Amino acid sequence: MTEQGGGPRREAHPFGSSSLFVDITTITVDPAYVAAAGRRAGDPDAKPPRPSSVIAVTALLFVGSVWGVAAAQTRDRAPAAARIRSSLVDEARRRTEATDRLARDRDRLQADTAAAREAALRDTAAGRALSAEVARLELAAGGRPVSGPGLVVTLDDAEVEGEDGETRVSDADLQSVVNALFAVGAEAVSVNDRRVGALTAIREAGEAILVDYRPVSPPYVVRAVGDPDALDPSFVDSPTAQRLRTYGEAFGLRFDVERAQRLDLPASEASRLRHARPAGSKPQGTP
Amino acid sequence: MIPALALLLGVAAGLALGPVVPLWLQPYLPIAVVAALDAVFGGFRALLDGIFDDKVFVVSFVSNALLAALLVFLGDQLGVGGQLSTAVIVVLGIRIFQNLAAIRRHLFRA
Repeated sequence: MTEQGGGPRREAHPFGSSSLFVDITTITVDPAYVAAAGRRAGDPDAKPPRPSSVIAVTALLFVGSVWGVAAAQTRDRAPAAARIRSSLVDEARRRTEATDRLARDRDRLQADTAAAREAALRDTAAGRALSAEVARLELAAGGRPVSGPGLVVTLDDAEVEGEDGETRVSDADLQSVVNALFAVGAEAVSVNDRRVGALTAIREAGEAILVDYRPVSPPYVVRAVGDPDALDPSFVDSPTAQRLRTYGEAFGLRFDVERAQRLDLPASEASRLRHARPAGSKPQGTP
Repeated sequence: MIPALALLLGVAAGLALGPVVPLWLQPYLPIAVVAALDAVFGGFRALLDGIFDDKVFVVSFVSNALLAALLVFLGDQLGVGGQLSTAVIVVLGIRIFQNLAAIRRHLFRA
């Protein structure tokens, strides 16, 4: 800023004003204008400068273009942010579809392998016994689709949004429901048609719940195969069910338990063990 | 009349051409905008006061913009660029308000 010591206020403060803030709020017209006016007053030949002089018009053109460019810049940038967001969403969706496709391929190949194994083992008595053993173990490990009577537990977020996620179903809620169902004797459990196997993780990432590292969205339907007459009363009396009923009353979470005559559960996905082997056996090459 | 037209023409040109501002220059754009606002309102107020001077107008705009940009550049190097650019905008903003008040008093005598 040009400070050629102009205005009357300036002269009242030979060392500049005592306060920066007083300066800012009182000396509002640029002192240079006052100084220039003072110089012109002392020189009778000086012609009054006009705002439409070439230099002023050029400067104003430039000033205007600064505003225009800034406005254009601001307008361009907002949609860019939205574009980036939507492209990320698209990408996530595309990847999820690709994973689903690969999962279907894998299921088909697994079925092929199982069929080939059955065919190879069918010929001998020892083979048939082995085949029956494999079927039994797979059933126990969750590696086979199963069906049977059981319970359907439905959880859903409350309709009103609350603070601190207390109106949302958390991964811990789902985990404790699944654990409680197994504890009261369920033989197979699935969450939103994803079978819970020995290596299944139910956890939260951001605000999404992942089952076997795949996102599931509310309402969460937990299906449990087992004797409904035994499962229903013991589950309903379990601490988990009591807690969730309390949440339902306090925060509006949905929590329903129903009996079902026939439930069809898919096979568990994480059935492949890569490093674990029966205790005592020799390590082999990776399968 | 001609100055107002020049200003509008500049805005239209900036909007229409919409040149890509290089990344290194982008932090200084808000400061240039506010310095330009300050210069225009200051100039208009001086015009109403009858002491407008085209050289002072240009020099005050350029020097204000440069000084503000220098402050922000320095702040960027010292890690307080955001805060300094806020400070620059606040100080120039106060001046803009004062000048607007003076213009209002001139135009409406109130």
